[in-house]
Amino acid sequence: MSSMTAAEAASFLSREALYLDRFDFDSWLALYTPDCRFWMPAWRDDGTQTEDPDRELSLIFYRGRRNLEDRVQRIRSGFSVASAVMPRVAHMIGNVLVEPAGEGRVRVDSSFISNVHDVRTNRSHSYFGRYEHELVLDGAEWKIASKIIRLMNDVVPTMLDVYGV
Amino acid sequence: MKSFALRDLIDDRPQDGVFRVNRALFRDQALFELEMKHIFEGGWVFVGMATQAENPHDYFTSFIGRVPIIVQRDGEGTLRCFVNACPHKGVRLVQKLCGSARRHVCPYHSWTFDSTGANKNIKWQKAGRYAPGFDEDNHDLAPVARFGEYRGFLFASLNADVPSLEAYLGEARKLMDLVVDKSPEGVELVYAANWKMQLENCSDQYHFTSTHPSYIRILDQRAREQVDEVVQSSIGAADFWQEDAAGVTGGTMSFDHGHVLNWGVMPVSAALPEFERVEELTKRLGVAKRNWMFNMRNLTIFPNLQLADNASSQMRVIRPIAAGMTEMQTWCIAPRGESAEARRFRIRQYEDFFNPTGMATPDDTVCYEEAQLGMAEQDRPWLQGHARGLTASVEGGNEWSDRIGLKPARSVLADAQLCDESLFGSYYRAWRERMKEVLA
Repeated sequence: MSSMTAAEAASFLSREALYLDRFDFDSWLALYTPDCRFWMPAWRDDGTQTEDPDRELSLIFYRGRRNLEDRVQRIRSGFSVASAVMPRVAHMIGNVLVEPAGEGRVRVDSSFISNVHDVRTNRSHSYFGRYEHELVLDGAEWKIASKIIRLMNDVVPTMLDVYGV
Repeated sequence: MKSFALRDLIDDRPQDGVFRVNRALFRDQALFELEMKHIFEGGWVFVGMATQAENPHDYFTSFIGRVPIIVQRDGEGTLRCFVNACPHKGVRLVQKLCGSARRHVCPYHSWTFDSTGANKNIKWQKAGRYAPGFDEDNHDLAPVARFGEYRGFLFASLNADVPSLEAYLGEARKLMDLVVDKSPEGVELVYAANWKMQLENCSDQYHFTSTHPSYIRILDQRAREQVDEVVQSSIGAADFWQEDAAGVTGGTMSFDHGHVLNWGVMPVSAALPEFERVEELTKRLGVAKRNWMFNMRNLTIFPNLQLADNASSQMRVIRPIAAGMTEMQTWCIAPRGESAEARRFRIRQYEDFFNPTGMATPDDTVCYEEAQLGMAEQDRPWLQGHARGLTASVEGGNEWSDRIGLKPARSVLADAQLCDESLFGSYYRAWRERMKEVLA
């Protein structure tokens, strides 16, 4: 099993989405490698995105799972008003394509819609775009070495946290 | 529509130690329309950076109040600012955020304009059986009444009857000098609250430890652990916001025309990406300016530009949409020619704190929306949020402003717990000045 079928990849992505929808952040974090990249580029103009996260701004850029752990800690802290009334979230993922990317490594392309209902303000919003995952085999388990989130509707209403995309 | 009198909106009685603002300023749609006309469309507003249209024929689009504009550089390098609307039927001429074009062709009837704004073609004009009056009309793009640049910052006014840009910016130019030579990169968010919430929050030292404890805890933890893979924050290295910090930790300054500065003492340290150039900065600017460059500085150029040098270096442009809806564009500003390492550090600090997807700004914008709910009309209309520091505010500057020859109209020197709110008075006095002709 050094590669993955499209069905297996879809199942993997669905599991990540389920963990986010349930705010099961420990299980979500466990899907990532310790040195993972988590990147949501910004839009430079109408049609192009920022490409070099070290020279240009991203909406989110982290190298290292520890940064995601910080995000989760803030969400759970009880000291963030933006996280006090958690929105309800349901992800939909489709159009899953897998390509081999070397021994024990695959690249997975997909589309997502994340439906967010902000309970605090009684407003609903959808975020949508594409994911680009790089998965690596860690023993018998696939882990996320890199996830790029290409968010299409990037005018953010008030706030957006990691569980919303 | 309920009609307001100025004295019912801003209660400014220095002799009685009172400065109060009516909630209606945040809520009332009729007041909002007046603000658009008399503040955003009635005076200087920031429109962008010269670097956003750097080369011949480059342009970018934006808004002044409700009016779409285009800032365009012509083939000779001259920048101009036009109303982004075809004189024919009013159609917005350019839809893209930015680009480069020698010609703009209206998508509706193909009227054509060059990069100086001159009309170059009216389709089938000769066959059009126009009356002589039409030929006498000017068919070029309408230039805005005033357009000016201060060290790369571009400002425009739809009203010709305004002071010169130099006079308008006044002493605040010296603070803009501390952030020049930068190039921008931006993102955008909207929040369901009044534009003045953002205006105030940037100058509000009082909220930091209340609104951002979840972020502060993470800073504390990172500082203890010193793990390489997380961002080390500049704010974590300073103590101006910590309640037990001793002595003068910062303060505020107010300038004519509604510009204000909130500042805090920060050490000249490697917690800021500028540190790599510290020797060059000292040599070029001297010790006093260099030290000020490392201080936390939140500068507002009334009414729509904020330059925040604190957790990173940010430019915010405020665009009111309605009384209860504001769009904010935010940009990271960075010096050209800084090292790859310094740039990476600056951007990581920025994303960590400022983005609508970061760990601090969301807690602010949520509070703006919660405040907006509390702005509903009620029996006790006066807010109590503009009163701290009234007895600490003095005319003119102090030893800190003197060090860089800065001459504010008023200033407050503060310890960590003072958290001056009297500087907001400068916003509302500028607001009152613009509105006095329409509100008795």
